[in-house]
Amino acid sequence: MKFLANLLDKARPKFEAGGPFASFKPLFDAIDAFMFNPLTQSKMAPHARDPLDVKRYMSMVIIALLPATFASFYFFGWRMLPMILVSYAAGGAVEVAFAVIRKEEINEGFLVTGLLFPLILPPGLPLWMVAVGVIFGVLVGKEIFGGTGRNLFNPALVGRCFLLLSYGGPMGGAWIEPGGGFFGRLGQYAETTVDAVSQATPLYKAAVDTQYEPLSNLFFGNILGCSGETSALALIAGGVLLLLFGVASWRVILSTFISFGIMTALLVEGNMHMVLFHYLAGGLLLGTFFMATDPVSGPITTGGKFVYGALIGIATALIRLKTPLSEGMMFAILAGNMFAPIIDEVFIALHVRRLRNEK
Amino acid sequence: MKPRGGYNVNLAGGPSLTVEKLAPPEKLCIPLHSRHLKFTELRVADGDSVSSGQALAVDPKAFSIPLPAPCGGTVGLTQLDGHIVMEDLTGPAEATHDPEVPAHVPYDPGNAAEKRRKLMELGAWQFVSNARTLRVADPQTAPSAVIVSTVHLEPFVARGSAIFGDNINALIRGLEHLQSLLEYQEIHLVLPDIKVDLARNIQKIIRGHAWLKLSEAPMQMRYPFDNPTLLARHLGLFTEGDETVWFLPAAGVIAFDSALTYSRPCTKRIISLAGPAVKEPQHLEVTIGHPIDNILAGRLTRDENVRVVNGGILTGVEIADKQMGIDAECSGLTVLEEPTVREMFGWLRPGGDRRSYSKCFTSTLQKTFEERLSTSLRGEQRPCVACGQCVTVCPVGIMPNAIYKYLFSDELEQAQRLRTDLCVECGLCSYVCPSKIDLSDELARAKVRIAEELGPAPGQQTEQKEQTPTENQEEGEA
Repeated sequence: MKFLANLLDKARPKFEAGGPFASFKPLFDAIDAFMFNPLTQSKMAPHARDPLDVKRYMSMVIIALLPATFASFYFFGWRMLPMILVSYAAGGAVEVAFAVIRKEEINEGFLVTGLLFPLILPPGLPLWMVAVGVIFGVLVGKEIFGGTGRNLFNPALVGRCFLLLSYGGPMGGAWIEPGGGFFGRLGQYAETTVDAVSQATPLYKAAVDTQYEPLSNLFFGNILGCSGETSALALIAGGVLLLLFGVASWRVILSTFISFGIMTALLVEGNMHMVLFHYLAGGLLLGTFFMATDPVSGPITTGGKFVYGALIGIATALIRLKTPLSEGMMFAILAGNMFAPIIDEVFIALHVRRLRNEK
Repeated sequence: MKPRGGYNVNLAGGPSLTVEKLAPPEKLCIPLHSRHLKFTELRVADGDSVSSGQALAVDPKAFSIPLPAPCGGTVGLTQLDGHIVMEDLTGPAEATHDPEVPAHVPYDPGNAAEKRRKLMELGAWQFVSNARTLRVADPQTAPSAVIVSTVHLEPFVARGSAIFGDNINALIRGLEHLQSLLEYQEIHLVLPDIKVDLARNIQKIIRGHAWLKLSEAPMQMRYPFDNPTLLARHLGLFTEGDETVWFLPAAGVIAFDSALTYSRPCTKRIISLAGPAVKEPQHLEVTIGHPIDNILAGRLTRDENVRVVNGGILTGVEIADKQMGIDAECSGLTVLEEPTVREMFGWLRPGGDRRSYSKCFTSTLQKTFEERLSTSLRGEQRPCVACGQCVTVCPVGIMPNAIYKYLFSDELEQAQRLRTDLCVECGLCSYVCPSKIDLSDELARAKVRIAEELGPAPGQQTEQKEQTPTENQEEGEA
């Protein structure tokens, strides 16, 4: 411990103004603050502050993602590790580059994007595509808007959308057959194992061949699909954690689920088995718990969160059941992101109206 | 408006209710500036000798509130910048309680003007503030209502029960004096909603007085519900938008009694000396101008790396120069330690030892406990991540995050539209912000800018008057 502190202290002058690596100060500061709490003090009242910081806030999301991450290792094997590492490295490089150019701090928001991104990709996707996707997502989805906190869209979804439109083949076929048995694929490193033509995700099969995967498989996650989205059990566990931490807005989650359920029930004419199937299949759970609740790209008003969730739920059901696309969560959330500012406008106007009699 | 939001910061080192009377020091350093008062018009010259109670200076912008000399002595104007130094002190006659003073003030509403003049001369008027602006109230006008509050919730300022001690009679007499200044206006006495002896005794005594127009307002003990502006809103006293509501804290009522019953100038204050860096947190009775280093000597856990705050941790001001004496408005000194040890992977720890407004620490599973907070920012400044904690904690129901966004892009009109003017500067939004943005300060500065650059919101007054009936109807139907 002492050794590390000394090492950092020794290296610090090299990164200060005038030192040889002065331009990499944001990177040094990030590592320094990652290891040891900074001694920064409040400059004005309030003189003491709450212990919550952005690092902690973001790490709560990562903790909630752990069950789904573990499920992805279990079902699809060790290939997840390089995918996650590539995602962190490539996306992190963009983040650092922008911090260095802007001379600003490195933001922790990327810690979530870097983990979330591989979880919404097919587990057999070539690693260079993971890199290209995350670079595009962070660059176009976040940095050109000004970085964390100013982005309009969820960066991970922007990256995925880009990959889907550019490399439709692998994005729709680089599946890995989920491992069975007690250890799943925990001991294996599998490349793409499934013939893209003959096999498809449950949602695709339901849409094209009207074949329905058993609900138990959807619940536990031994199905084809994006690496982190298959196991409803793991996602619900993570979602419950998010709600307990208070990091995700229960309003968005509740209204997405309810509106999705109602809309799906209407479209499938009340077949409850199919409604349940659609709840568990595809990216609905992952998207609702971890993407729709992204506070930055969603609305900030309390009422707006309900409307935003409803919009996403309805759009997902419509895309899944009324368009040629079998999965709709990604486009629904991106559309929701697009509407978030205008939803906020309306609800801020209502908020102002409510306050007009306050003196 | 119902109370909403709010949060109690459970700071370790809360003051006990014992009040230690500090011996008068050898010299006094009386600051000419305090939070709301600026005694710029000097009434004495360098080297003058003054007698106890004589006005040293007045604040020309606050109805010429005087700064009475705490005792006799020689005045020095040049030794300390911004201070009056008094030496060769001849202490005032030791305050003895006259046993013949009746427990009640005879009902005598006739000489209100004379009483106001006396309150002003003896320095007791400075406690009467306008609940909306928090500035000293105009002694020539009549308020539409008066709020008297015995509750002080910020960690840490002097507690109401310490200020009264066992002298409930002084409180009752102070209230009676206050009543005699008024005509028909009601006095709202704000008491804690928990059953404490003080509150129960007060209730027992005041229920017998038909002519004391008091209404008891029990209050939730959550910071910042003791804020004068908030109290006035909660009690429904701001309906037109231009009412004058007076606010008197506990110390003010005692000052009224001391000025009008004993004709004593207000030169002593009961302050709290508390915080994690104080060995024995308690209350002190000090003379205005008592040197602060004299007060702190030997009472702190460490001599260096401490921050002394004039007031509480949420709204207080750091005392930069410890030479400064206790100012005329001081209600407490809070001493915090400055962080000196860098904790490794601090953000990863489960956090059973740190209490948070959020639920991101295992302390959520525990009962509340007092925490030795330091002046550490506990994180780094980041852009807003729209977590919404400032909105839920805000006691006035505005959206600090949305206002901050507009201020960031310099859209002052939008900030005005979002009712930045309702902010009471309690500091909670800054306290809870995970991005460590000084929201409260941003809002406070925006308030000033809006008032200076934009004036009152266009059409707000007229629109409000037209729409009030429909609003009431809607509420009635609901």
